[in-house]
Amino acid sequence: MQSKNNWKAWLYLAPVLILLSVFTFYPLINTIGISFLKNYDYMTQTSDGFTFENYAIVLGLQPYRYMPIPDEVTGELVQTPMYITDVVKFAIPNTAIITFVTVPISILIALAMAICLNSITSLRKVFQTIFFLPYVTNGIAVGMVFSVIFAGNSGIFNAIFGIPEPNYWINVSADWGHGMFALCFYIIWKSLPYKVLIFLSGLQNIDNQYYDAAKMDSAPKMRVISKITIPLLSPQVLYITITSFIGAFKEYDSIVGLFGTAPQTSPSRPNNMLTIVYYVYNTIGDNRVHYGSAAAVLLFVVILVFTVVEMQVSKKRVHY
Amino acid sequence: MEIRLKNLTKEFPGDPKKNIPDTVAVDNLTVTIPDGELVGLLGPSGCGKSTTLYMIAGLKNPTSGEIWFGDQDVTNLTPEKRGIGLVFQNYALYPHMTVYKNVAFPLPNIRVEKPRFYRSGEPVLDENGNQVYSPRKLTKAEIDALVRSTAKLVQIEEYLDRKPSQLSGGQQQRVAIARALVKKPRVLLLDEPLSNLDARLRIQTREEIRRIQKETGITTVFVTHDQEEAMSICDKIVVMKLGVQQQIGAPQEVYNDPHNLFVATFLGTPPINVFKGRMETDGVYIGSDKVLENTRGYKPGPVYVGIRPEGFIFGGDRSEFGMRVENVTVMGRDILLNASNPACTKPLIKAELSSEIKMEVGDVRCGIRPDKIYVFDGETEERLYL
Repeated sequence: MQSKNNWKAWLYLAPVLILLSVFTFYPLINTIGISFLKNYDYMTQTSDGFTFENYAIVLGLQPYRYMPIPDEVTGELVQTPMYITDVVKFAIPNTAIITFVTVPISILIALAMAICLNSITSLRKVFQTIFFLPYVTNGIAVGMVFSVIFAGNSGIFNAIFGIPEPNYWINVSADWGHGMFALCFYIIWKSLPYKVLIFLSGLQNIDNQYYDAAKMDSAPKMRVISKITIPLLSPQVLYITITSFIGAFKEYDSIVGLFGTAPQTSPSRPNNMLTIVYYVYNTIGDNRVHYGSAAAVLLFVVILVFTVVEMQVSKKRVHY
Repeated sequence: MEIRLKNLTKEFPGDPKKNIPDTVAVDNLTVTIPDGELVGLLGPSGCGKSTTLYMIAGLKNPTSGEIWFGDQDVTNLTPEKRGIGLVFQNYALYPHMTVYKNVAFPLPNIRVEKPRFYRSGEPVLDENGNQVYSPRKLTKAEIDALVRSTAKLVQIEEYLDRKPSQLSGGQQQRVAIARALVKKPRVLLLDEPLSNLDARLRIQTREEIRRIQKETGITTVFVTHDQEEAMSICDKIVVMKLGVQQQIGAPQEVYNDPHNLFVATFLGTPPINVFKGRMETDGVYIGSDKVLENTRGYKPGPVYVGIRPEGFIFGGDRSEFGMRVENVTVMGRDILLNASNPACTKPLIKAELSSEIKMEVGDVRCGIRPDKIYVFDGETEERLYL
């Protein structure tokens, strides 16, 4: 019976398997393959054979080219090795900062908002809808709105917080710090609705009796939140933590939304808003796919390690 | 701590748009629960007994009426200020905490009074010369001692490191009682404490509750729909029906002297046999059998006659009541008789008698013990005393 109907099962699975193979498995394996090819040419699909060089160059362990630079003493042109790529200089630190700043802050804010929303009784549905609206709004449109908020010297952000002029956030002469602040602000704002939604649904699943029991035991509000609400919400917190870390590591569209087509605050500071995924995307255009593949594989490994660590930590801390 | 409920009423507003009428869950309830007693609120589901309990706890606000603990009016006090231990129907143990942490949970919230002293060692006195106290938290050692002594009281010492999910229903129940008792509340409330346990555990746990209550001497109110449970451990029971209190008293008193048909039918296993009868000028009749004299001159009319299963006398010289024995079950010490009579409101009459009496299937006549037969008005269902 079981073996007889096997082909039927495969038939049902076929559409998904075909789509997954074409768009996920093949690209995944191909990316790993390309990341080990020296001087891979995307157009002609040729290369100079197997190498670890791509990884070394992306990580700045090996010079990516030699530049004739005049020697300080003799003035002779010396071929100097260049190590620091934009990946090392911008993409890795930017990605790390985006991840470790936006994820914890947005989770804390979302948790606070969800707990507040859950404790109001009147107009809850209205507020829930309002808080969820940003999620269904187009990311690029939101990015444009934010680029207006942080625009030039007369942006709303400066006006609201009464920040003395001149103070540029994302363009003209804005430096890395200002750009990164605006970017993190935007990413946190954009990621809140989904988190609030998940936390709210988790909160509504917590049996009211626990709160009644805590009330009978005269537990203060903060103790109820820290000892009862958050532990009972831990499955949702774990889910949100893992997915937001993955999402933040892959940050790309927010930069496009906020800074436009070039990942920089001003033309005089090229690539200073670069992230790893943005770099990967750029390599496709400049026929440096082997470097992009190496960066993508590195990112994949980092995300994998993070997720495994989170799952291990969760075994002790998450209560289903 | 004596608990007094004065004209307590709870209404749940309906929704006129959806044609849902207002519901009166508890109607004008006045009860005094004496200090140190175990009192059962007894009634079928939906009779307002749990609502009453939650109003005593402060988790529900009464629509009108007052709740007094001793000489303190607590009607408008929030639950945390009432000093109550509440055991929920499904225990509401925190699933992520060990038994120890569950039991210890109420303790850090407690403040005990600490006398204040000047640095010189002299006590701080107020303008009337009384010692000034300031609140302080319990120390870790005090918390530990309290948790362990309470765990010992309810016999869960060996489970302190486990999570609630690793415990059986009866053990969870005891943890819940420990959590309610650890803060030394003035009143212990139990909401259907035995409903989630199997039959054997139920008998064991109810003895346990009785023992703990006697050991601590705490005023305890517990809610149940199981009359056997209430009868077996309560000092006093309050029988309720549709939010209205029917009768209050010691279990045996209520059983022997029911004030109305509802109370008579609700108490006792097997339940009381109810017959449609007639009040005549000379006596009470079931069919053509005259079972009682009308000694008080009640007006003729329809009545209900209740006879407890143990109220039938066979083998004596009395033969005022006739019925047809359908089958006889000998259960060791007792005989359980299933019989029929056209006036009975149920298909079968249940009778219990000593196994020394020989019974056979067929028509039979018997006597009725006068203290086991009750007459109720045919309309109001109130007791007619004869």
